[in-house]
Amino acid sequence: MTDPVVHIAQLNLQYAGEVVLDQLDWQVFRGECWLIGGKSGSGKSALAKVVAGLEKGTGTVEINFIRHSSLPPRVLYVSNWYEFTNLEGDRNFYYQQRYNKHQKNDTLTVYAELAAYAQAEGLSFGDLEKYLDLFEFIDLKGTQLIELSSGEHKKLQLIKALWLQPQLLIVDEPYTGLDKASRKKLNGFFDDLAAVGVQLVLVTNEQDLPACINRFAEIDKGNIKQVDSVQALSVDASRNRKPLPLFLQEAPVSPAEVMVHMENIHVRYGDKVVLKGIDWTVRAGEKWLLQGHNGSGKSTLLSLITGDHPQAYANNIALFGQPRGSGESIWDIKERIGIISPELHWYFDKTARVWQAIASGFYDSIGLFRQVSYEKQQKINQLLDFFELTEVKDRLITTLPLGKQRLVLLARTIIKNPALLILDEPCQGLDHTQTAFFNAVVDELCGFGKTLIYVGHYETQLPNCLEKKMVLEKGEAKVIEEMNEVVC
Amino acid sequence: MANYFNTLPLREQLNQLGVAEFMDISEFADGVSALKGKKIVIVGCGAQGLNQGLNLRDSGLDVSYALRKEAIEQKRDSWKNATDNHFTVGTYEELIPTADLVSNLTPDKQHSSVIDAVMPLMKEGATLSYSHGFNIVEEGKEIRKDITVIMVAPKCPGSEVRAEYLRGFGVPTLIAVHPENDPQGKGLAEAKAYCVGTGGHKAGVLRSSFVAEVKSDLMGEQTILCGLLQTGSILSFDKMIEKGIDPGYASKLVQYGVEVITEALKQGGITAMMDRLSNIAKIKAFEVSEELKDIMRPLFQKHQDDIMSGEFSRTMMEDWANGDKQLLGWRAATGETAFEKTPAGDVKIGEQEYFDHAVFMVSYIKAGVELAFETMVEAGIKPESAYYESLHETPLIANTIARKKLFEMNRVISDTAEYGCYLFDHACKPLLADFMKTVDTDIIGRNFNEGKDLAVDNQTLIAVNEAIRTHPVEKVGAVLRKAMTAMKAIKTV
Repeated sequence: MTDPVVHIAQLNLQYAGEVVLDQLDWQVFRGECWLIGGKSGSGKSALAKVVAGLEKGTGTVEINFIRHSSLPPRVLYVSNWYEFTNLEGDRNFYYQQRYNKHQKNDTLTVYAELAAYAQAEGLSFGDLEKYLDLFEFIDLKGTQLIELSSGEHKKLQLIKALWLQPQLLIVDEPYTGLDKASRKKLNGFFDDLAAVGVQLVLVTNEQDLPACINRFAEIDKGNIKQVDSVQALSVDASRNRKPLPLFLQEAPVSPAEVMVHMENIHVRYGDKVVLKGIDWTVRAGEKWLLQGHNGSGKSTLLSLITGDHPQAYANNIALFGQPRGSGESIWDIKERIGIISPELHWYFDKTARVWQAIASGFYDSIGLFRQVSYEKQQKINQLLDFFELTEVKDRLITTLPLGKQRLVLLARTIIKNPALLILDEPCQGLDHTQTAFFNAVVDELCGFGKTLIYVGHYETQLPNCLEKKMVLEKGEAKVIEEMNEVVC
Repeated sequence: MANYFNTLPLREQLNQLGVAEFMDISEFADGVSALKGKKIVIVGCGAQGLNQGLNLRDSGLDVSYALRKEAIEQKRDSWKNATDNHFTVGTYEELIPTADLVSNLTPDKQHSSVIDAVMPLMKEGATLSYSHGFNIVEEGKEIRKDITVIMVAPKCPGSEVRAEYLRGFGVPTLIAVHPENDPQGKGLAEAKAYCVGTGGHKAGVLRSSFVAEVKSDLMGEQTILCGLLQTGSILSFDKMIEKGIDPGYASKLVQYGVEVITEALKQGGITAMMDRLSNIAKIKAFEVSEELKDIMRPLFQKHQDDIMSGEFSRTMMEDWANGDKQLLGWRAATGETAFEKTPAGDVKIGEQEYFDHAVFMVSYIKAGVELAFETMVEAGIKPESAYYESLHETPLIANTIARKKLFEMNRVISDTAEYGCYLFDHACKPLLADFMKTVDTDIIGRNFNEGKDLAVDNQTLIAVNEAIRTHPVEKVGAVLRKAMTAMKAIKTV
């Protein structure tokens, strides 16, 4: 029998004193492609990182590569989060930075990033085109990293992984932020890789998987447990619903009949047109779904509403009845809006703790710079209780599982009971149970007179309250319609 | 034009040097109202110009940019910066006559010619704003008597001014009104409103004067901020190479070490920085820094004296007139130093290691901060002003070294600071030559604690702690830092 590709025996791993992996044994043989799923926070990513050599536990971890293979003898781990630095080597970005234009480049362009990668890994550019093409990245070559949307960042990570074709490829949450078409293409690529001998390990609870996946497992009490199929994976128990805190059961004061009014909106960066001729009116109390492929301009459109985009001043936009650029400050605007977006999450203060982060929502700041009054403290505590976050209130947000992090940001967003909620892919990276809970909270919140703009890729997992839909395609509004059929 | 400061009687010199009032946030309750609906025209659109303008506009103010005709015709970067962000851009002739407030955010060197071009176009009773007082104080520029002259000086690079604003905070800021130009008495209200517009009011504002700002700013940047960090980096690196430490390691220890060490300084002053060392290392660092202070004190005093007398700006302006000959020569020489040319090695250095292996650097930074502060205060500058221009800015400059060494530091700082930095560096290195012969790798390059008994004498430690904690820079720092606690950590490592 040949050596297993991955041989792990008696692996132990602890994070800050807590046991994550406990005497874990696992072997991956040639021809096997694994899916690791199961409950959030069970240690899936930790195991993946150990295999990739990014975490050190105790015990045996051996990787046996094939010596005479055209594939590089490498383990590549694609994390569920993307990271890049600016040209000066630091990571101090703010989430609005991609909209502020400076002549001095802050980050590498996509092309320069890929060129550096090719040099480091000894790759040939000839093989790259097909991946760029299939992920529709050809036009983005000259784009700076800071300007990419979250979905585009995910694609760039995947392009690099597919290009390298390592002998062992581990992808943590491969589908996060990808639209339907991209997911399908990606699965095709995974199958192609498996066919040439790349061994895959996917960490996800997704159901639409590449055909090559032939082993399923989850982590249970620190050890790996093989199951028969993706359906057999454990799911997080659905959460007990508690009543919404009273202060959120009050309808927010609606500042105007028309919350957002946009006329013939155009946004372009140099020659690149991002938004073209968009007309959109959002009235108080309406619940909108905003959809579109990756890079279709959704986040840019929303940034015009949240006061984060300088080109708002050059367009015909009125917010809460007041034209933009007529003496209002962005803080006047933000006061009335609650926002979550993948970018806000990604760039969020890495030193923030749960309680302080929620409190900062009163002031729309990243970081808490003021004393919080007794009344406000009570509201924070009620929300912590509602989201079952009281136990972790003093923890760094970054040390929580992704699903909990997102709940903290939702709590931060609604703490001031804003009139307009903008939820840009709020469930990105959450599994079905977490998403269902999240959407149920959104539905309940919106029952109390809020206006909602919700961005989501999946028709299957959306809040029930949505009633109108706009679809963007390459920066243009393709569909604006009432949503008749019940989506749930 | 005569040096403004030198035209003043001593009484008035002391009076203006002594303006330093730390303002309470309640003094900014009027927000931006003093500038609401007024037309703000910014001259220049580099890092400060663009980022201040973006903030002012996002605060609900009316901002446009006046650029020289050539900059517009040739579509230079300043033109692109402004138009890409959808500001109105026009020539001086088009925009200045409409302005209620003209903000001059061009480089120091251009101030005189910019003001000569702009002043005749300004409308009666308008306001002229600066972010640095060199033109008024050192060049002695006289502004038309109907014009109000104010200063709003964010104590951070332009990119930080924007980043901090968008997180809902701001950067520490100095504001001032020029006593010769406040005919309507509106200067302070407008300076405060401008400061609110940039977000500065949330991070601690010091009311200063043009004179106090210039004399302290020049002193800080020449000595502790840029000059001393440059000298310290080069001496540390050269010593390690001489003693056989791996060049890649030495390069990394210095490049990132200044940032890691001064991050502790930023959060808790010299006390916190020294507390990162073991007790024996702290005592050693204290002794070394006392010795360094004795050696360097005359040099710090000379810099302060030349700044006060105007001798410094006179010689620098001579170099301006001479096509920056000296400056360019020194800049090239800095690029050729071994430290600059040795890339940081691919070695992991732990956060604590940056302290334990660089006791000399800690001592040197302590000596520099304290000396700069002491010398400024002795010269009549108030402790609050001295703090901003010494301890407060040190981590910001150290961050530029972490990014791309001395080249980056000297690129980011103003030409004025860079000129002063080289002056200091060239005088300081020979001054320390004998001392450096006594330095070994126990205090730079290797772990000071290694192989040593960590025991200390109680009385010695108590005395050292007492001396560190009661230094005047620590007293004023404790008060000022309270307003700045929310400043985020700068991290490159």
